[in-house]
Parts: sequence; structure tokens; C-alpha cells
Amino acid sequence: MDLRDWAVKFSEASDGDATIGAMARYFTCSYLLDMGDAKIIVEMVDGKVYRMNIAPAPMDPYDFALRASPQTWREFARPVPAPMYHGIWAASFRKDLRLEGNTLVLMQNLRNFTIQFELLRKVGVPI
Amino acid sequence: MAKHSPVIGRYVTIDVDGCEYKVFYLQNGQGVPLVCQHTAGCHNHQWRDLLEDGEITSHYNVIAYDLARHGKSDPPLNKEWWKEEYRLTADHYVKFIIAFCDALELKDPIFMGSSFGGNVALQLALRHPDRFRAVIPVEAAAHAPGFFLDVWRHPHANAAQVCASGVWDLMAPQSPDKDRWLTWHYYTQGSEAFKGDLYFYSVDHDMRDSLGKIDTRRCPVIMMTGTYDYLTPPSATEATAGGIPGGIYIEMEDIGHFPMSENYPVFRVYLKEALRIISERTA
Repeated sequence: MDLRDWAVKFSEASDGDATIGAMARYFTCSYLLDMGDAKIIVEMVDGKVYRMNIAPAPMDPYDFALRASPQTWREFARPVPAPMYHGIWAASFRKDLRLEGNTLVLMQNLRNFTIQFELLRKVGVPI
Repeated sequence: MAKHSPVIGRYVTIDVDGCEYKVFYLQNGQGVPLVCQHTAGCHNHQWRDLLEDGEITSHYNVIAYDLARHGKSDPPLNKEWWKEEYRLTADHYVKFIIAFCDALELKDPIFMGSSFGGNVALQLALRHPDRFRAVIPVEAAAHAPGFFLDVWRHPHANAAQVCASGVWDLMAPQSPDKDRWLTWHYYTQGSEAFKGDLYFYSVDHDMRDSLGKIDTRRCPVIMMTGTYDYLTPPSATEATAGGIPGGIYIEMEDIGHFPMSENYPVFRVYLKEALRIISERTA
């Protein structure tokens, strides 16, 4: 899938998600998804995708990052992920996912981020 | 006509290490007492479907209590508990369960607990093999490091949501949304106790050198773990059961760390097998 097409699909899925919408206010943060060849900075403002930066420059800021191998990202995107690929905690404890940066911001937004991360099961990954 | 559940709730007051605890428990059924411990940072509603499972309760007296500081069981009523950091120890936890079973005059109960309740089930089998008919440690291991984290109770984050969403992927994606979100809801209610519970779970509980001392002829041990449990993965439980002479391990497919709460229809299949084995071994 083309990276730009994926970014549009992910944004639409997130902005239209009722569970995120039920507690969207103050869901404001930015994070990097590092999938190897594909890197995206997602910028959230009050529960909506403000910007999908699909070509981050070296100094582009973000609060926290999720880094894993392309194979792990593809496992995340299965409709029903296999054990230990079914979430960021599982994969960071048992697989190669690394959570970096200001992870306190991740914790402050954990409810909505967790729901948003699982949207990968519906929209796939661009690698 | 009111739609009453057959489950009833009561309080019983017990003394543990000088702490006065008014313990809340839910009960339904008749026969062999089946005492159920919830997971860390949670409460006895995790056992809601078991408590109303007529096939089980026709043969077992199911009793699910709230550990002190959880659900409707308050912190010690005779202590200034707010002046100390809560850290649950194996000694205190074991004494609490014994005092509770004694207060209810339970004869030869089966003890079942999940996660930190599973780990204390192993402690009970080691320390009090003659007080229990058998134990069913669910999602348990001899040692479970790595979850005693500051983030569960960090003042700069919403602890209720951190605890609830932090354990979200301890559940299997196949488990029904309704039950996963109920479990999430319960976890928002226990965030003040979660980290202190995990002191027992990840720090004080370490039975790696004592598994061989468990006497399963006096107290059978039937361990069960779900394939989606990343915290106590199936391999950890299998190794633990393998270290206990006569220990039994049952792997539960497509379920996670809160099996009785996240997907009871799947869990009950394995529970019935565990109860069948116990019935055979203790006949």
C-alpha cells in the first residue's frame, strides 16, 4: 500500500472511531511509528489526526516512538494477531518492539492510543 | 417480578497481622467450597459468570472475595494506612486467605486464583497443603518479574486509565468486546492498589527454589494458562508445573491473563477439566 494512501486511510479510521470519539478531548500528542523503511509521525490534537508526517526530517519532533522490525508491524496488522503480537505491551515484553522517548506522554494518552494502535488490524500497514 | 441473581454478598470481619479487615464476598452454590481470588488491582466481579454458572454451583459453593483494599473490602479499619506505601507481601497475603477461610469455617476448600491470585495459590500449596483440598493457579508462575512499575501510580497520568489500558493486551483479541471492556472498567477502579499488589506478584513471590517441596499428594496443583498471556506466558507456567512433583499444566487456547473475566465460555471448559481431575485425585 502506498504510504500516502495508508496515511489517509488511518486518519479516516481514527477520526471516525466511536470509542476514541467518546473520550477525544485532550487526546493530544505526537508519536513516531518506525517500521523500518516506512516512518510516520502522527500528530493528534483533541482526538483528531492533525497531521500525518509521512516523510519526517531528522529534527522533526515527537513525544514518543514505537520501533520494531517490518515483520513485527505486519504481524500487528493481522485481523487477529498471533499471541505476543496483540499489543504494545505484549510485543515490548516478548518481541522486538521498543517504546522510546517520553513514554509518560504515552501513558497519559494510553486509553485512546491503545484503541488507535489496534486500528492497524483494519487498515493494515504500509510495508 | 424483580430479576434477582442467586448470588448474595456479605461482609465478614477478620484479623490479619493486627489489621482489622471487613471483607466483602459474593457467594452462590452448594457442595465443595471453591474460593476465588481476583487479579491484582481488581475485584470479585471478575468471577461474575462463574458465580451464576448453574452447572458449577450445583456441586460447588463458589465464594469470590475482595482482597483488602479492593472492591468493597476496605483498607484496615484500625490503621492509618494512608501514611504508608502499600506493598503486599506473600506472608500477609497467605495469612489473609487462611483467616478468611477460617472465618467462614470452610472445610477442605479448593482455592483458585488468577495472576497474583495464581501465584498465591502456589504459596498456599507449599505452606498449607492440608488446609486446601487442591489449588488451581491460573496464569501463574514460580516467578513473575517485571511488572512492579512506577507508572501504575504516577501523579502525572490518569492512573485509572493507565492501569486499565495497561492490562488491555493481557487479554486475547478473540475475547468478546463486552467482557474485555467490563474487565477494563473493573481495572479503572483498582489503580490505587495495583502497584502494591504487584510488589507481591513481581518482587516478593519467588518460588523457583521451592517448587520441589510442594506435596501434591496432600494438595493437588492444577495450573492453567492462556496462550495470549504475555506476562506469564504458557512456557513459564508449563516450566513451573514441571518443577512441582505431580503438578499438572493445562494450556488454554485463544485466551489471555484474565480468562474467567474476558471469556468465561472458553474458560469454563478448562475449569471443568481441572475440577474433574481434582475430583478424581481427592476421591
